[in-house]
Amino acid sequence: MNIGAAIKDVIDYQIKVLGGRTVGDVIFFFVILFVAVIIAKIVRINIRRTLKEKVPKTTLNAVEKIFYYGIITVGFLAALPYIGVEPTGLMVAGGIAGIVIGFASQTVVSNLISGIFLLIEKPIKIGDGVSLGDVSGVVKDIRILSTTIRTWDGIYVRIPNEKVFTSNIQNFVAHAARRFEYKIGIAYKDDADKAIEIIKNLLEEHPLILKEPAPQIFVEELGESSVNLAIRIWAPSSHWFSVKTEMLWKIKVALEKEGIEIPFPQRVIWMADKKKAKI
Amino acid sequence: MRCCYNKVFGKYDLNVELKEGGIEVSITGKGKKKSYYRKAGEEEVEKIIYAEEGNVVICPVEPVNLPNEGTSQHLLIELEKPIIIEPGIEDVFYVKFPIEVGVFLIDKKDVERIDIFTITKPKYILYGPPESGIICKWWRSDAFGETPEVKRLYEGVMKVEAKNNYSEWVEIKKMVFRALDMKLFYNEHAFMHSYLEIMKKTMGETSFNERKPKNMKRAIDIYLAKGIKRLEKKFVMEWGFK
Repeated sequence: MNIGAAIKDVIDYQIKVLGGRTVGDVIFFFVILFVAVIIAKIVRINIRRTLKEKVPKTTLNAVEKIFYYGIITVGFLAALPYIGVEPTGLMVAGGIAGIVIGFASQTVVSNLISGIFLLIEKPIKIGDGVSLGDVSGVVKDIRILSTTIRTWDGIYVRIPNEKVFTSNIQNFVAHAARRFEYKIGIAYKDDADKAIEIIKNLLEEHPLILKEPAPQIFVEELGESSVNLAIRIWAPSSHWFSVKTEMLWKIKVALEKEGIEIPFPQRVIWMADKKKAKI
Repeated sequence: MRCCYNKVFGKYDLNVELKEGGIEVSITGKGKKKSYYRKAGEEEVEKIIYAEEGNVVICPVEPVNLPNEGTSQHLLIELEKPIIIEPGIEDVFYVKFPIEVGVFLIDKKDVERIDIFTITKPKYILYGPPESGIICKWWRSDAFGETPEVKRLYEGVMKVEAKNNYSEWVEIKKMVFRALDMKLFYNEHAFMHSYLEIMKKTMGETSFNERKPKNMKRAIDIYLAKGIKRLEKKFVMEWGFK
């Protein structure tokens, strides 16, 4: 007996437990699986190379896994007939299971798709100060299913991506600069031009108050108790809050130092009857 | 042995006292433990350094680090009087830029920044619109026909070679330079050699000459010290010169 014929006999040997499939079929099953694993690995490496700089590590891991196991599953299903398992039956069962799982996991899928759109559209980035619906804080992570925020008072909040995607997003640092405003009332007896000059000089001294767009200071309203000045200031978005908290008191101190009064609400009452009461 | 100098810029041993124009820098102490002290204007800084070998280098650095590092990576120089350039003309003029002084510890392997200070009054400005513009460190200077006199710890000199490649006259009031591109040199004062290429009425490119001028030392590059690569070496001024 020659070796070729012996190998052919082994390959053609029918395995009873596998419904009469041959050893060759089983070998082919493993070859398909092997090729699927190789393709999955190649795809995973390419995804990693392409998206490494573009998406967060956690998201990258999730995308890699979805593609890796997806390809292996397709390979496995394609190879099943070679070991006597018809995937048609699995498909029917899988279809029913799919409907059940689909209903159960529609929120997960919705979050997943929203997460992908968030990564593409990029309305927020890690480290940005944002307001998402009724939650405000710093974005700590954008994952495939959820976004985590550290609120201004230090609380961890996990928001499903669907909610993030459909809510009104305010990104406080998306633009390089932002404006804030103060309203300060001075007494009617004081010189508004002088007050404006004092405030202007004070703002000029602060490095983070932008030279351009220049601060705007003007009389906005003749109020009931005071002449109201509006002060509009532009600062780098990254520092606007510290500037805002710092300057209001400095303006108050500077005005008072120059004898300009910031009055309390007051009302002058004229008495119609000048008769004095007898006590 | 402790050395005393009356010029701040230079390379010194790890035991030194320097005084110049209201600035004091000293590194004192025996053995590995040294005390670092610096005074610039009203501001004083003290640090403890553990070092046995190496030197300290004090030199001008890219002037965008103070008062808040990371706020800006660009320097905008506003000219007192605008310059109007004819089409096709190439002109050389000089402007002043603010000085920030860096103190570095260096040994054979590494460069470590220990301090940056300035006696200038920093101010920021927005170049471009708020939604897409950039925050720049702002400085105002005259344009000079020859190298101007400067207080060396306050201002440096930038040579600007401007070329109008556009078909019309162009007025220049502002120039924006990216700190990543800057090449700083120093001797008596800090020096940079830049190029401004006008491409359109409201668009230009700024870049720097990397060649070391004669009799000057190359300043330590903060970005190279941090290991930040330079991919592009030109900055496009896309929001005009005014």
